[in-house]
Amino acid sequence: MGALGHFLEREGLATAGISLVREHTEKVRPPRALWVTFELGRPLGRPDDPPFQRRVVKAVLDLLARTDGPLIADYPEHVTEDTDFTGWACPVNLAPTHIDSLGAEIERLATWHDRAVAAQGRTTIGISGLDMPAAGAMVNGALAGSLPPAQALKEAIDDLKAYYLEAASAFPDSGTASMRKEWFWSETRLGAALLALQPKLAASDDPQHKILGNLTLIPATERHRLTVTR
Amino acid sequence: MVKRLSDMPEAEANHLRRIDCPTYDDTPLLAGPPLAARRVAIISTAGLHRRGDRPFQPGDGSYRVIPAETPARDLVMSHISVNFDRTGFQQDSNVVFPIDRLRELVADGTVGSMASVHYSFMGAFPPDAARPHAQHLAGLLKADKVDAALLVPV
Repeated sequence: MGALGHFLEREGLATAGISLVREHTEKVRPPRALWVTFELGRPLGRPDDPPFQRRVVKAVLDLLARTDGPLIADYPEHVTEDTDFTGWACPVNLAPTHIDSLGAEIERLATWHDRAVAAQGRTTIGISGLDMPAAGAMVNGALAGSLPPAQALKEAIDDLKAYYLEAASAFPDSGTASMRKEWFWSETRLGAALLALQPKLAASDDPQHKILGNLTLIPATERHRLTVTR
Repeated sequence: MVKRLSDMPEAEANHLRRIDCPTYDDTPLLAGPPLAARRVAIISTAGLHRRGDRPFQPGDGSYRVIPAETPARDLVMSHISVNFDRTGFQQDSNVVFPIDRLRELVADGTVGSMASVHYSFMGAFPPDAARPHAQHLAGLLKADKVDAALLVPV
Protein backbone atom coordinates (compact mmCIF):
# COMPACT_ATOMS: atom_id res chain seq x y z
CA MET A 1 0.00 0.00 0.00
CA GLY A 2 2.72 2.47 0.97
CA ALA A 3 4.48 1.93 -2.36
CA LEU A 4 1.41 3.27 -4.18
CA GLY A 5 1.70 6.49 -2.17
CA HIS A 6 5.22 6.93 -3.51
CA PHE A 7 4.26 6.10 -7.09
CA LEU A 8 1.17 8.33 -7.25
CA GLU A 9 2.60 11.29 -5.37
CA ARG A 10 5.63 11.25 -7.66
CA GLU A 11 3.23 11.42 -10.60
CA GLY A 12 1.65 14.56 -9.22
CA LEU A 13 -1.22 13.17 -7.18
CA ALA A 14 -1.44 13.87 -3.43
CA THR A 15 -2.06 10.77 -1.33
CA ALA A 16 -3.06 9.89 2.22
CA GLY A 17 -3.51 6.33 3.39
CA ILE A 18 -4.46 4.06 6.21
CA SER A 19 -1.73 1.99 7.85
CA LEU A 20 -2.70 -1.32 9.44
CA VAL A 21 0.85 -2.53 10.15
CA ARG A 22 2.88 0.28 11.61
CA GLU A 23 6.18 -1.54 11.25
CA HIS A 24 5.64 -1.85 7.49
CA THR A 25 4.72 1.81 7.12
CA GLU A 26 7.79 2.87 9.09
CA LYS A 27 9.95 1.06 6.54
CA VAL A 28 8.15 2.18 3.37
CA ARG A 29 7.73 5.82 4.51
CA PRO A 30 4.79 6.82 2.31
CA PRO A 31 3.83 10.51 2.23
CA ARG A 32 0.99 10.47 4.78
CA ALA A 33 -0.36 7.59 6.83
CA LEU A 34 -2.97 7.25 9.55
CA TRP A 35 -2.08 4.29 11.70
CA VAL A 36 -5.08 2.37 13.03
CA THR A 37 -5.12 -0.55 15.44
CA PHE A 38 -7.96 -2.37 13.72
CA GLU A 39 -8.00 -6.00 12.69
CA LEU A 40 -6.41 -6.79 9.31
CA GLY A 41 -9.20 -6.86 6.76
CA ARG A 42 -11.13 -4.07 8.49
CA PRO A 43 -9.27 -0.86 7.65
CA LEU A 44 -12.28 1.32 8.52
CA GLY A 45 -12.63 -0.40 11.89
CA ARG A 46 -16.25 -1.38 12.40
CA PRO A 47 -18.73 -2.83 9.89
CA ASP A 48 -22.17 -1.21 9.87
CA ASP A 49 -20.99 1.79 11.87
CA PRO A 50 -21.09 4.72 9.43
CA PRO A 51 -20.23 7.43 11.99
CA PHE A 52 -17.14 5.51 13.08
CA GLN A 53 -16.06 4.88 9.48
CA ARG A 54 -16.69 8.51 8.57
CA ARG A 55 -14.42 9.69 11.38
CA VAL A 56 -11.64 7.45 10.09
CA VAL A 57 -12.02 8.65 6.50
CA LYS A 58 -12.05 12.27 7.66
CA ALA A 59 -8.93 11.73 9.77
CA VAL A 60 -7.04 10.28 6.81
CA LEU A 61 -8.13 12.99 4.42
CA ASP A 62 -7.22 15.73 6.92
CA LEU A 63 -3.61 14.60 6.54
CA LEU A 64 -3.64 15.87 2.95
CA ALA A 65 -3.10 19.39 4.30
CA ARG A 66 0.31 18.38 5.65
CA THR A 67 3.54 18.55 3.69
CA ASP A 68 5.85 17.75 6.62
CA GLY A 69 6.05 14.05 5.85
CA PRO A 70 6.68 11.26 5.53
CA LEU A 71 4.37 11.19 8.50
CA ILE A 72 2.47 8.60 10.51
CA ALA A 73 -0.39 9.92 12.62
CA ASP A 74 -1.93 7.70 15.30
CA TYR A 75 -5.69 7.27 15.13
CA PRO A 76 -7.08 7.69 18.66
CA GLU A 77 -10.05 5.30 18.48
CA HIS A 78 -9.75 1.56 18.89
CA VAL A 79 -12.07 -1.38 18.33
CA THR A 80 -12.46 -3.88 21.11
CA GLU A 81 -12.80 -7.56 20.36
CA ASP A 82 -16.23 -9.00 19.63
CA THR A 83 -18.22 -9.88 22.68
CA ASP A 84 -17.44 -13.39 23.78
CA PHE A 85 -20.51 -15.56 24.33
CA THR A 86 -19.08 -18.08 26.71
CA GLY A 87 -20.29 -21.53 25.90
CA TRP A 88 -21.41 -20.64 22.40
CA ALA A 89 -21.87 -23.68 20.27
CA CYS A 90 -23.02 -23.82 16.71
CA PRO A 91 -26.82 -24.01 17.04
CA VAL A 92 -27.19 -25.85 13.75
CA ASN A 93 -25.96 -29.38 13.71
CA LEU A 94 -23.27 -29.29 11.07
CA ALA A 95 -20.89 -31.67 12.69
CA PRO A 96 -19.82 -34.10 9.99
CA THR A 97 -20.57 -37.74 10.47
CA HIS A 98 -18.79 -40.72 8.98
CA ILE A 99 -21.35 -41.11 6.24
CA ASP A 100 -21.54 -37.42 5.53
CA SER A 101 -19.87 -35.68 2.62
CA LEU A 102 -18.66 -32.27 1.61
CA GLY A 103 -21.49 -32.08 -0.91
CA ALA A 104 -24.09 -32.79 1.78
CA GLU A 105 -22.59 -30.15 4.03
CA ILE A 106 -22.74 -27.58 1.22
CA GLU A 107 -26.34 -28.48 0.53
CA ARG A 108 -27.26 -28.21 4.21
CA LEU A 109 -25.89 -24.70 4.39
CA ALA A 110 -27.89 -23.45 1.42
CA THR A 111 -30.92 -22.38 3.41
CA TRP A 112 -28.71 -20.45 5.84
CA HIS A 113 -26.90 -18.79 3.00
CA ASP A 114 -30.24 -17.79 1.51
CA ARG A 115 -31.11 -16.18 4.83
CA ALA A 116 -27.79 -14.36 4.93
CA VAL A 117 -28.32 -12.97 1.44
CA ALA A 118 -31.82 -11.87 2.38
CA ALA A 119 -30.48 -10.10 5.46
CA GLN A 120 -27.46 -8.49 3.81
CA GLY A 121 -28.95 -7.84 0.41
CA ARG A 122 -25.81 -9.21 -1.17
CA THR A 123 -23.25 -12.00 -1.28
CA THR A 124 -19.52 -11.79 -1.89
CA ILE A 125 -19.54 -15.10 -3.75
CA GLY A 126 -18.82 -14.89 -7.45
CA ILE A 127 -15.11 -15.07 -8.14
CA SER A 128 -15.00 -18.55 -9.66
CA GLY A 129 -18.21 -18.42 -11.66
CA LEU A 130 -19.09 -21.85 -10.23
CA ASP A 131 -22.13 -22.72 -8.19
CA MET A 132 -21.32 -24.09 -4.75
CA PRO A 133 -21.93 -27.80 -5.50
CA ALA A 134 -19.58 -27.50 -8.48
CA ALA A 135 -16.98 -25.71 -6.36
CA GLY A 136 -17.27 -28.48 -3.77
CA ALA A 137 -16.89 -31.09 -6.50
CA MET A 138 -13.68 -29.40 -7.60
CA VAL A 139 -12.29 -29.63 -4.06
CA ASN A 140 -13.33 -33.28 -3.87
CA GLY A 141 -11.67 -33.97 -7.21
CA ALA A 142 -8.47 -32.31 -6.03
CA LEU A 143 -8.51 -34.45 -2.89
CA ALA A 144 -9.04 -37.55 -4.97
CA GLY A 145 -5.83 -36.86 -6.82
CA SER A 146 -6.48 -34.75 -9.88
CA LEU A 147 -5.35 -31.25 -9.03
CA PRO A 148 -7.05 -28.60 -11.18
CA PRO A 149 -5.11 -25.47 -12.15
CA ALA A 150 -4.18 -23.57 -8.99
CA GLN A 151 -6.01 -20.38 -9.94
CA ALA A 152 -9.29 -22.19 -10.62
CA LEU A 153 -9.01 -24.11 -7.36
CA LYS A 154 -8.18 -20.97 -5.37
CA GLU A 155 -11.17 -19.12 -6.81
CA ALA A 156 -13.50 -22.03 -6.02
CA ILE A 157 -12.17 -22.23 -2.46
CA ASP A 158 -12.52 -18.48 -1.90
CA ASP A 159 -16.13 -18.67 -3.01
CA LEU A 160 -16.80 -21.66 -0.77
CA LYS A 161 -15.28 -19.96 2.26
CA ALA A 162 -17.42 -16.89 1.63
CA TYR A 163 -20.45 -19.17 1.31
CA TYR A 164 -19.76 -20.92 4.61
CA LEU A 165 -19.02 -17.79 6.61
CA GLU A 166 -21.90 -15.84 5.15
CA ALA A 167 -24.23 -18.76 5.87
CA ALA A 168 -22.95 -19.01 9.44
CA SER A 169 -23.68 -15.32 10.01
CA ALA A 170 -27.37 -16.19 9.57
CA PHE A 171 -27.45 -18.98 12.16
CA PRO A 172 -29.70 -18.18 15.09
CA ASP A 173 -27.39 -16.85 17.82
CA SER A 174 -24.57 -16.76 15.33
CA GLY A 175 -21.80 -15.87 17.78
CA THR A 176 -18.90 -13.64 16.82
CA ALA A 177 -16.92 -13.57 13.59
CA SER A 178 -13.96 -15.18 15.32
CA MET A 179 -16.20 -17.98 16.63
CA ARG A 180 -17.52 -18.61 13.15
CA LYS A 181 -13.99 -18.82 11.78
CA GLU A 182 -13.09 -21.26 14.55
CA TRP A 183 -16.16 -23.27 13.58
CA PHE A 184 -15.08 -23.26 9.95
CA TRP A 185 -11.61 -24.63 10.67
CA SER A 186 -12.44 -27.02 13.47
CA GLU A 187 -15.90 -28.36 12.63
CA THR A 188 -16.61 -28.30 8.91
CA ARG A 189 -15.89 -30.84 6.22
CA LEU A 190 -14.59 -28.06 4.02
CA GLY A 191 -12.10 -26.89 6.64
CA ALA A 192 -10.86 -30.47 7.00
CA ALA A 193 -10.70 -30.83 3.21
CA LEU A 194 -8.51 -27.75 2.87
CA LEU A 195 -6.18 -29.01 5.59
CA ALA A 196 -5.98 -32.35 3.77
CA LEU A 197 -5.32 -30.63 0.44
CA GLN A 198 -2.38 -28.63 1.71
CA PRO A 199 0.28 -31.36 1.59
CA LYS A 200 -0.89 -32.49 -1.85
CA LEU A 201 -0.54 -28.98 -3.23
CA ALA A 202 2.79 -28.40 -1.51
CA ALA A 203 4.13 -31.64 -3.00
CA SER A 204 3.01 -30.83 -6.55
CA ASP A 205 5.61 -30.11 -9.24
CA ASP A 206 3.55 -27.15 -10.42
CA PRO A 207 4.94 -23.95 -8.84
CA GLN A 208 1.44 -22.40 -8.71
CA HIS A 209 0.19 -25.38 -6.73
CA LYS A 210 3.10 -24.90 -4.35
CA ILE A 211 2.24 -21.22 -3.84
CA LEU A 212 -1.34 -22.18 -3.07
CA GLY A 213 -0.38 -24.97 -0.71
CA ASN A 214 2.35 -23.12 1.11
CA LEU A 215 1.05 -19.56 1.20
CA THR A 216 -2.53 -18.90 0.16
CA LEU A 217 -4.61 -21.84 1.37
CA ILE A 218 -4.27 -22.03 5.15
CA PRO A 219 -4.05 -18.82 7.21
CA ALA A 220 -0.87 -18.45 9.25
CA THR A 221 -2.96 -18.60 12.42
CA GLU A 222 -4.47 -21.98 11.42
CA ARG A 223 -1.36 -23.76 10.17
CA HIS A 224 -0.88 -25.39 13.55
CA ARG A 225 -3.80 -27.62 12.57
CA LEU A 226 -1.79 -29.16 9.74
CA THR A 227 0.35 -31.25 12.04
CA VAL A 228 -2.65 -32.92 13.61
CA THR A 229 -4.42 -33.77 10.38
CA ARG A 230 -1.49 -35.33 8.58
CA MET B 1 -7.10 -4.82 19.64
CA VAL B 2 -4.09 -5.08 17.38
CA LYS B 3 -1.25 -2.77 18.26
CA ARG B 4 2.30 -3.59 17.32
CA LEU B 5 3.46 -6.85 15.80
CA SER B 6 4.62 -7.85 19.26
CA ASP B 7 1.00 -7.73 20.45
CA MET B 8 -0.32 -10.01 17.69
CA PRO B 9 -0.59 -13.79 17.78
CA GLU B 10 2.87 -15.16 17.07
CA ALA B 11 1.93 -16.91 13.82
CA GLU B 12 0.34 -13.77 12.40
CA ALA B 13 3.19 -11.52 13.52
CA ASN B 14 5.79 -13.84 12.02
CA HIS B 15 3.92 -13.88 8.74
CA LEU B 16 3.89 -10.08 8.67
CA ARG B 17 7.55 -9.85 9.65
CA ARG B 18 8.48 -11.98 6.65
CA ILE B 19 6.83 -9.60 4.18
CA ASP B 20 9.52 -7.77 2.28
CA CYS B 21 8.80 -4.02 2.34
CA PRO B 22 10.27 -1.73 -0.31
CA THR B 23 12.29 1.28 0.83
CA TYR B 24 12.73 4.63 -0.89
CA ASP B 25 15.44 7.24 -0.60
CA ASP B 26 13.03 10.12 -0.34
CA THR B 27 9.29 10.74 -0.10
CA PRO B 28 7.56 13.28 -2.35
CA LEU B 29 4.91 15.48 -0.70
CA LEU B 30 2.65 17.72 -2.72
CA ALA B 31 0.88 20.80 -1.41
CA GLY B 32 -2.67 21.33 -2.63
CA PRO B 33 -6.03 22.97 -2.07
CA PRO B 34 -8.06 22.57 1.12
CA LEU B 35 -10.05 19.34 1.47
CA ALA B 36 -13.32 21.12 0.70
CA ALA B 37 -11.94 21.92 -2.74
CA ARG B 38 -10.39 18.54 -3.51
CA ARG B 39 -11.63 15.75 -5.73
CA VAL B 40 -10.89 12.41 -4.09
CA ALA B 41 -10.57 8.86 -5.45
CA ILE B 42 -10.38 5.71 -3.38
CA ILE B 43 -7.50 3.39 -4.21
CA SER B 44 -7.91 0.07 -2.42
CA THR B 45 -5.40 -2.75 -2.25
CA ALA B 46 -8.01 -5.29 -1.11
CA GLY B 47 -8.18 -7.12 -4.42
CA LEU B 48 -11.69 -5.81 -5.05
CA HIS B 49 -13.45 -5.90 -8.37
CA ARG B 50 -16.82 -6.23 -9.95
CA ARG B 51 -18.18 -9.75 -10.20
CA GLY B 52 -17.21 -10.98 -13.63
CA ASP B 53 -14.00 -8.92 -13.84
CA ARG B 54 -10.72 -10.85 -13.96
CA PRO B 55 -9.81 -12.16 -10.51
CA PHE B 56 -6.38 -11.25 -9.19
CA GLN B 57 -3.54 -13.76 -9.37
CA PRO B 58 -0.22 -14.13 -7.55
CA GLY B 59 2.24 -11.45 -8.65
CA ASP B 60 -0.52 -9.36 -10.25
CA GLY B 61 0.40 -5.66 -10.08
CA SER B 62 -2.50 -4.41 -12.17
CA TYR B 63 -5.68 -2.71 -10.99
CA ARG B 64 -9.38 -3.14 -11.50
CA VAL B 65 -11.81 -0.32 -12.21
CA ILE B 66 -14.70 0.36 -9.83
CA PRO B 67 -17.08 3.02 -11.19
CA ALA B 68 -18.57 5.15 -8.42
CA GLU B 69 -22.08 3.91 -9.16
CA THR B 70 -21.08 0.24 -8.65
CA PRO B 71 -23.57 -1.27 -6.18
CA ALA B 72 -22.03 -3.03 -3.17
CA ARG B 73 -23.73 -6.26 -4.25
CA ASP B 74 -21.54 -6.32 -7.37
CA LEU B 75 -18.25 -6.18 -5.44
CA VAL B 76 -16.17 -9.28 -4.78
CA MET B 77 -12.70 -9.74 -3.34
CA SER B 78 -10.07 -12.01 -4.92
CA HIS B 79 -7.04 -10.99 -2.89
CA ILE B 80 -4.71 -13.99 -2.82
CA SER B 81 -3.85 -13.66 0.89
CA VAL B 82 -5.72 -15.67 3.49
CA ASN B 83 -4.16 -13.74 6.37
CA PHE B 84 -6.81 -11.12 6.97
CA ASP B 85 -10.44 -11.08 8.00
CA ARG B 86 -13.07 -11.16 5.24
CA THR B 87 -16.16 -11.37 7.40
CA GLY B 88 -16.14 -7.60 7.88
CA PHE B 89 -16.33 -7.11 4.11
CA GLN B 90 -19.03 -9.77 3.88
CA GLN B 91 -21.05 -7.81 6.42
CA ASP B 92 -20.41 -4.29 5.12
CA SER B 93 -18.30 -3.41 2.07
CA ASN B 94 -17.64 0.05 3.48
CA VAL B 95 -15.39 -1.38 6.16
CA VAL B 96 -12.96 -2.05 3.29
CA PHE B 97 -14.11 0.29 0.54
CA PRO B 98 -15.64 3.39 2.19
CA ILE B 99 -17.34 4.86 -0.83
CA ASP B 100 -20.58 5.64 0.98
CA ARG B 101 -18.62 7.48 3.67
CA LEU B 102 -16.77 9.50 1.07
CA ARG B 103 -20.07 10.30 -0.61
CA GLU B 104 -21.42 11.57 2.73
CA LEU B 105 -18.38 13.77 3.28
CA VAL B 106 -18.91 15.27 -0.15
CA ALA B 107 -22.61 15.81 0.59
CA ASP B 108 -21.87 17.74 3.79
CA GLY B 109 -19.20 19.85 2.13
CA THR B 110 -16.19 18.39 3.96
CA VAL B 111 -14.76 17.07 0.69
CA GLY B 112 -15.07 18.93 -2.59
CA SER B 113 -16.12 16.08 -4.84
CA MET B 114 -15.67 12.38 -5.48
CA ALA B 115 -14.00 10.73 -8.47
CA SER B 116 -16.29 9.15 -11.03
CA VAL B 117 -14.14 6.01 -10.98
CA HIS B 118 -12.24 4.29 -8.15
CA TYR B 119 -9.65 1.54 -8.31
CA SER B 120 -8.37 -1.54 -6.55
CA PHE B 121 -5.03 -3.28 -6.63
CA MET B 122 -4.27 -6.57 -4.89
CA GLY B 123 -1.85 -5.63 -2.14
CA ALA B 124 0.41 -8.66 -2.35
CA PHE B 125 2.01 -7.26 -5.48
CA PRO B 126 5.76 -6.93 -5.95
CA PRO B 127 6.27 -3.12 -6.10
CA ASP B 128 8.01 -3.30 -9.46
CA ALA B 129 4.97 -5.10 -10.92
CA ALA B 130 2.64 -2.32 -9.77
CA ARG B 131 4.75 0.72 -10.60
CA PRO B 132 3.89 0.99 -14.33
CA HIS B 133 0.21 0.42 -13.58
CA ALA B 134 0.26 3.09 -10.88
CA GLN B 135 1.92 5.55 -13.24
CA HIS B 136 -0.73 4.87 -15.84
CA LEU B 137 -3.42 5.17 -13.21
CA ALA B 138 -2.14 8.61 -12.15
CA GLY B 139 -2.86 9.85 -15.67
CA LEU B 140 -6.38 8.42 -15.59
CA LEU B 141 -7.06 10.06 -12.23
CA LYS B 142 -5.85 13.43 -13.42
CA ALA B 143 -8.05 13.11 -16.50
CA ASP B 144 -10.96 12.71 -14.04
CA LYS B 145 -9.76 15.95 -12.33
CA VAL B 146 -8.81 13.97 -9.22
CA ASP B 147 -6.19 15.69 -7.07
CA ALA B 148 -6.10 13.41 -4.03
CA ALA B 149 -6.11 9.65 -3.47
CA LEU B 150 -7.40 7.94 -0.36
CA LEU B 151 -5.29 4.79 -0.05
CA VAL B 152 -7.02 1.96 1.78
CA PRO B 153 -5.15 -1.27 2.56
CA VAL B 154 -6.72 -4.47 3.80
